[in-house]
Amino acid sequence: MSVPVMTVPGEPPAPVSSAAVRATGLTKVYGSGETAVHALAGVDVTFERGGFTAIMGPSGSGKSTLMHCLAGLDAATSGQVWLGGTELTRLRDDQLTRLRRERIGFVFQAFNLLPVLDARENIVLPMQLAGRRPDPAWFDAVVARLGLRERLRHRPSELSGGQQQRVAIARALLPRPDVVFADEPTGNLDSRAGAEVLDLLRSSVRETGQTVVMVTHDPTAASYADRVVLLADGRPAGEIDRPTAASVLEALRGLGG
Amino acid sequence: MLSTTLAGLRAHLPRLVAATLAVVIATAFVAATLVLNETARATLLRAAGAQYVGADAVVTARDGGSLAGDVATLTALPGVAAVDPTATADVQAALPGRSAAYLQVGSVAADPELRWQRVTAGALPDRPGELALGLPTDAEVGDVVAVSVLDPATGDVTATAEATVTGLVDLAGDPAAGVYAHGYAVPAQVSAWGATDPTELRVAAAPGTDPAGLVATVAAALDGRDVTVSTGEEAAASAVAYVTGNRLALTAVLLVFATVAVLVAGLVIANTLAVLVAQRTRDLALLRCVGATSRQVRRSVLAEAAVTGLVASTVGVGAGIGLAAVVSALVGTDSPIPLEGVTVPLYAVAAGLAVGTLTTLVAALGPARAATRVAPLAALRPADPAPLRSRGGLLRFATGLVLVLGGSALMALGVVMAQIYPALAGGAASFLGVVLLAQRAVPPVVAAAGRALGRAGGLPGRLAAGNASRNPRRTAATATALLIGVTLTTAMVVGAASTRATAQAGLDSAYPADVEIGAYGELPSSLLPQLEEVDGVAGGTALAGADLTGPDGQPTWVQGVDPADAGAVLRSTADLPLPALGEVVLPPWAAEVWSVRDGDEVTLTAGANSRTLTATVGGDASTPLLYAADLRGLVPDAPAATLWLRLADGDGQRDAIAEVTELTGAAAPDAYVTGLASERAAIDQVLDAMLLVVTGLLGVAVLIALIGVGNTLALSVVERRQENGLLRALGLTRGQMRGLLAWEALLVAGVAAVLGVLVGGAYGLIGTASLLGGQDVVVVDVPWVQVGGIVVVATVAGLLASVLPARRAARTAPVAAIAAV
Repeated sequence: MSVPVMTVPGEPPAPVSSAAVRATGLTKVYGSGETAVHALAGVDVTFERGGFTAIMGPSGSGKSTLMHCLAGLDAATSGQVWLGGTELTRLRDDQLTRLRRERIGFVFQAFNLLPVLDARENIVLPMQLAGRRPDPAWFDAVVARLGLRERLRHRPSELSGGQQQRVAIARALLPRPDVVFADEPTGNLDSRAGAEVLDLLRSSVRETGQTVVMVTHDPTAASYADRVVLLADGRPAGEIDRPTAASVLEALRGLGG
Repeated sequence: MLSTTLAGLRAHLPRLVAATLAVVIATAFVAATLVLNETARATLLRAAGAQYVGADAVVTARDGGSLAGDVATLTALPGVAAVDPTATADVQAALPGRSAAYLQVGSVAADPELRWQRVTAGALPDRPGELALGLPTDAEVGDVVAVSVLDPATGDVTATAEATVTGLVDLAGDPAAGVYAHGYAVPAQVSAWGATDPTELRVAAAPGTDPAGLVATVAAALDGRDVTVSTGEEAAASAVAYVTGNRLALTAVLLVFATVAVLVAGLVIANTLAVLVAQRTRDLALLRCVGATSRQVRRSVLAEAAVTGLVASTVGVGAGIGLAAVVSALVGTDSPIPLEGVTVPLYAVAAGLAVGTLTTLVAALGPARAATRVAPLAALRPADPAPLRSRGGLLRFATGLVLVLGGSALMALGVVMAQIYPALAGGAASFLGVVLLAQRAVPPVVAAAGRALGRAGGLPGRLAAGNASRNPRRTAATATALLIGVTLTTAMVVGAASTRATAQAGLDSAYPADVEIGAYGELPSSLLPQLEEVDGVAGGTALAGADLTGPDGQPTWVQGVDPADAGAVLRSTADLPLPALGEVVLPPWAAEVWSVRDGDEVTLTAGANSRTLTATVGGDASTPLLYAADLRGLVPDAPAATLWLRLADGDGQRDAIAEVTELTGAAAPDAYVTGLASERAAIDQVLDAMLLVVTGLLGVAVLIALIGVGNTLALSVVERRQENGLLRALGLTRGQMRGLLAWEALLVAGVAAVLGVLVGGAYGLIGTASLLGGQDVVVVDVPWVQVGGIVVVATVAGLLASVLPARRAARTAPVAAIAAV
């Protein structure tokens, strides 16, 4: 999908780089005056295309807020977010909604699926909302890779937690989004199902070049990523390349988390 | 716990407004019905029982014998101030330039205490030769009325007199006032005009005498006589009871609607409180966490309901009394059900308060139980909307089925027997069954309609269909509230239309001519052309009359009619067959007298002329009818004896009749004018009023049900916050979210409206068939436009109800799906 590059007169043209998502000077303040809480206190971060990045940090570090702002789910107080060449922070609600369903995939911790729709309907939901037809070959490939072929007619209540997350991943991958955001995707799963989900996310990055950004507090989950971005008190607090569970744990301990 | 309850009430005030409104409307309806009933009774008591209300004791002869000899006895009793023997005389009276009409003349009491007439102009007569007339009348004070005294046995005029009108008496509210004319004269004049002996005495008590004691004294004095002694109030009440049969039926009908309003309100309140409990799951769970027992939680919810119910029903009773006052002012005293001011009985207030509060409390039982099931841990973990499972569903289903089948059997019986009572009982039972079955029947229908919608409405349509059939119990409750309103409205509309059609058909055949002008002698031939000129007269035909000698050798009055002319004038010839050339139509009495059967030959002679005609027996005509040319063949100069007129349809009929009456009176003083046009208009008026009431009911029912639909959707929005957040995150625009809720509302409301129209239409037809089964012709009339209108109104109302919840849903932040975790 070709992405039009938006330029703003009087400002430097948008950088056309390999970055899938980029944020500069991002702040998010809840409340005002004395009681103001700075959930994000100036974050500059870049996520490369085709990378699998984990955002980590102790509770209250702002990692979920960061993801919400990056994904256009929540409005930042100041700063800019770029998805490819599009500046999210300039879009109105309807434009953001359309952008989300066309260019962003989501996997949440829980309540990922609509209970009234079966697995197939849930998978194609964002594309249907956008009025697009999924490419049948690609649909079959995604469904086969996630092992859902036998489950397409099942409702969420008839699926296990791991199966539900796999349906959510299929839904996220189907529109070939610019980026998939996963928010604690293994939080509600046992360790075996969790490992399966993380394997699937990693293989989608390796095999199809999908960009994935995952928020997690679990060092083992983070070790599946190519890179870990650490956050503390709403500010970046270092990065780890090729993380292992041990190196992540070590870094977190250094943050006091 | 009470302070928590009150704090909760304040916090949820906006949502409670909806529940309160439902209670207010239902309670107002109940209170208004009872107040109007009491007002109508009081008005009638003052009007129809006017002559008794002011008396302290009333003596009535049970055998109709004379009480004239007892006046002196009673006057002499201690504690009796005055005794008035009530005398009436029946006379014919004619205003200047008018034809004579029946006038009932009553006596004016000698004692001012016992004079009950409300004089609006002039004064009551105080000497013979004077007359006061009851309103409505065209007479004015100072007019001179020609009075013909009739022989009670033969009806012949025995004397004529003149009387000056001295005053006009207001009879407003007395149903008998419009039926025939009333006059009042001094006792001497009344007896001079042929009054019979008094059969009723009205007694006034001396100052300081107890009326009950007076009744006892009078009764003791008349011991052994066949008389009834009662207080004035009692006599008035029994006089009222004599004329109020229909009004009581109307009260019963209104109370049925009040019950319906209460039922619908109950369903709405139950839904609203369920919304409140669901919204507060976390609050309630937190209360449990910090130590509130489930009993305390239940008490808190019930206390909230009790306060809401009490406040709302207080407002409702006030609103109901206000409504009754407005209705009373609008209806006034010039109507079939006269109303004057408002009479507020204590029981109406008490009943309104009790019904409103109890309904709210009963409706709160379910939500209160749900509240006690909130686990303390719910405060700590994500909300998990567990679908409600219906328990006792089988029992409900079986009960519903039994009621529907039994009720249907009773209704069938009612139709067959042409009796409304079994049909009413069957209708009530089967409707209760329908409401119970709705829990089972509505969800599958909604699901089926949803599948069709899913194909037509795209993704939001399919999601809405899924959502609507997701909580069958709640969907059923919402739909039922609307179903009840739609069913009853449709039943009334269809019933009223069929009743109107049947009544009109009956009137048309019983009274085929709008206006009939007859004379004992002859009518001037110039009269018909004159009358045909009158504005509002569509056409007319004249019947010639003559005495012919029949087979029994006796002269018999017959009339000749031109069927071509008459056919255009008459509204129906079902009960009035017209003769063809060579035929004579014989009413059954003539056929009997002449010993003639259908198809026999009948020879009629007039002087030297004679004709043999074929007899057709039947019809309601008062005289044998000949073909006009046949009659002219026998009596060439037979004069016009009867005129039939047809009036143009519309509002001007009353004026047309007045002008026709006046012209006729001037041209032929002894002619009489009768006609059904005014009765036809009266029936139309009553049915129109009924339909207006029904429209009002539709308003009430739809309004309450609308609140219910809105609340159910609001509950859905609350429960599906995460789901809606997810949809927003995945790319559902705000417009699509609003569409989703609109489809859901449309689906539930549409299904309820269509089911309601089907069931209600059946009830309307069954009701008409059993109520009017005794009539010759039952005309079934389904007013498709109105019925279609009901479906549209109910569905659009449901759609409107989705507006606010949809706005709320559209505002759901996409992060809600994640943030709530």
